[in-house]
Amino acid sequence: MCPDEPAGSPITVLVVDDHPMWRDAVERDLAAAGFRVVGTAADGAKAVRVAAAVRPDVVVMDLQLPEKSGVVATGDITAARPETRVLVLSASGEQRDVLEAVKAGATGYLVKSASAAELTDAVRRTAAGEATFTAGLAGLLLGEYRRLAATPTGDPLPQLSERETEVLRLVAKGMTAKQVAARLVLSHRTVQNHVQNAMQKLQLHNRAGLVRYAIEAGLDEE
Amino acid sequence: MTVPRAVSVEVSGDPPWWRAIAAFRWLTLAYVTTVNLADLPNVQHPLVAVLLMVVMAVWTVVATVAYSRADLRQWPLFVVDLAVAVSTVLASRLVEASARIAAGEPTFPQMWVVGAILAWAVCWQRRGGLAAAGALAAADVVEGGALSANTVKGIVTLLLVGLVVGYVVGLVRRAQDALAEAIRIQGATRERERLSRDIHDSVLQVLAFVQRRGAEIGGDAAELGHLAGEQEQALRGLVSVSRESISGDADSKVDLRELFNAGQAGPHVHLATPATPVLVTGHQARELAAAVAAAVHNVRRHVAEDADVWVLLEDTGDEVVVTVRDDGQGIPAGRLEEAAAEGRLGVAQSLRGRLHELGGRAAITSAPGDGTEVELRVPR
Repeated sequence: MCPDEPAGSPITVLVVDDHPMWRDAVERDLAAAGFRVVGTAADGAKAVRVAAAVRPDVVVMDLQLPEKSGVVATGDITAARPETRVLVLSASGEQRDVLEAVKAGATGYLVKSASAAELTDAVRRTAAGEATFTAGLAGLLLGEYRRLAATPTGDPLPQLSERETEVLRLVAKGMTAKQVAARLVLSHRTVQNHVQNAMQKLQLHNRAGLVRYAIEAGLDEE
Repeated sequence: MTVPRAVSVEVSGDPPWWRAIAAFRWLTLAYVTTVNLADLPNVQHPLVAVLLMVVMAVWTVVATVAYSRADLRQWPLFVVDLAVAVSTVLASRLVEASARIAAGEPTFPQMWVVGAILAWAVCWQRRGGLAAAGALAAADVVEGGALSANTVKGIVTLLLVGLVVGYVVGLVRRAQDALAEAIRIQGATRERERLSRDIHDSVLQVLAFVQRRGAEIGGDAAELGHLAGEQEQALRGLVSVSRESISGDADSKVDLRELFNAGQAGPHVHLATPATPVLVTGHQARELAAAVAAAVHNVRRHVAEDADVWVLLEDTGDEVVVTVRDDGQGIPAGRLEEAAAEGRLGVAQSLRGRLHELGGRAAITSAPGDGTEVELRVPR
C-alpha cells in the first residue's frame, strides 16, 4: 500500500487550520521534527486545491473550517488521491464530525491538546498508513457499527468480527495498542490491523453508499 | 472562524389591502352602473344620472391609481375620497324624484361608497371605519329626508362594515408585529448561539494551545499549561451540553452522553461514546450517573487524584453498558471479599446495589498491575 519512498526523503505535510496560531505552531513542530510542510490552508476549499497541487503525504486537518468543512475536504482529498492520508487534529470535540471525517476517509484522529511529540509521532504513523486513534474514536466506531446493525436496510452492512469488536472495546477503554496486544496475546501489528479494518470497512460502506446514491440519482433522471 | 452575518429581519409589509379595495371599487362600479343604466328610463334627470356615473367611474380610476402610491396615500386623499362618496350619495336627490326617494329607492351610488369606508378602516382601523361609515350614514339620512326602514338597514350595514373591517385590519397588524418580533428574537437567539459557539471554539483552541506549549516549556509554564488544560476540559463539557434538566418524570428519556459529559468530564476523565444519543429513563440515568461518579471517585481515592479514568458508554440495543477503567495498580485478589467479610460496604457493594435495583449488574475485574475495570450493565 505504501509507495516505495527513497529512504531519508522527508514526509510532506499540508497543514489545514483556520486558526493562524495553531497553524504556525503545528507547522513549527512538524518542521522541527524533520517533516517538510509543503503548504498550509485556512479553509476547506483551499485545502482541497492545495492538496491537489502539492500532493502531500499527510494532511493535518482541522474540522471546523470556513468555506468547506473539514469532513467534506477530507472526503474530496482522499477521493482525488487515496495516497494522501488525512490526520484529523480537532479541538472541537464534535463526535459526529470526527466520525464523519473517518467515514469520509481520514486515517487518524488526534485531539488538539495532544503534545507535540504525540503529533509528530501520529503524522509519521499516518504517513505509513497506520491508523491513529483515541479511546473516543474507538467508542464512536463501536457505536456506528451498532447503529448500522440496528438500522433495517436491504443493503449488505459492514460488520465487525468478534476480534475487531474486542480490540475496539479495549481501545475505547483507554488501552494503548501495546496494552491491547499484551491482553489479547497478539502482535502490536495485528492490533493495528484490526482497528484499521474497522475504519476501512466503514469507509468502503460510506463510499459504496455514495456511488449507489449517484447511480440512483442518474437513473432517476432518465 | 466565520465572520458573523448581520441578522436581517424582513417581514413583508401590509397585505395588499389597496389592491383589494380597488378591486372592490371596480366590481361595485360595474354592478351599480349596470343597475343604474337599466334604471335610466325611470329616473327624473337621466342626464345628471349619466354625469354622476361618469364622475364615479373617473373617481374609481383616480382612487385606484392614487391609493396604489404610498406618497399619495396621505390624509387628503382619504378626505377627498370620503367627500366624493358623500357627494354622490347627496347627488341622488338631483337624479331621482322626491317621491321615489321617499318610497325607499336606494341611493344612486349604492354600495360603491363602501370603498371609501374600507380605505378609512384600513388606515385608521376601527375608528377610521366607524368615522367614514358615520359620515356616509349622515349623508344617507340627509338624502332620504327621513329615517326609513331601508335607510336604517343601510346605516347599520355601513357601520358594521366600518367596524368589522377596521377591527380585522387591526388584528392583522398586531399579528404581523408579533411575527416580526418573533422572527427578530429568533434571529438574535440563533446569532447569539452561533457567536458563543465561535467564541467557545476559539477559547478552547487558545486553552489547548497554552496547555500544549506550557507542557513543552516546563517549570512554572507547565503548571499554567496544566491549569489551562483543566479549564479547557471544563469549558468543553459546558459547551457540548445542552443542559437538559433531568425531571422526575419516569417517561422522559435522557441522553446518557450529555449527562456524562456534564457530570464526569473533568481533567483526566476520558469519555468514549457513540455519536448518536443513548436514551434511558431519567431514573436509570440518575442511577447510572451516580454509579459512574462513585467509580470515578473510587479511582481518585485509591489510585491517584490525577489518575486517568476512561469511561466507555455502549448501547448494544438490549443493554446499556458503561465501563469505567483506570490504569492503576489494580485491586489485590481477595481484597474485596476481605472488606465485605469485615462488614465494610465498599464501593463494590454500593455499585452492585444500585445496578441490582435497576435490574442490571455490576462487575469489577482487576488484576494486580493491570488497572481496574468496573462494568455496569442495565437492560433496556
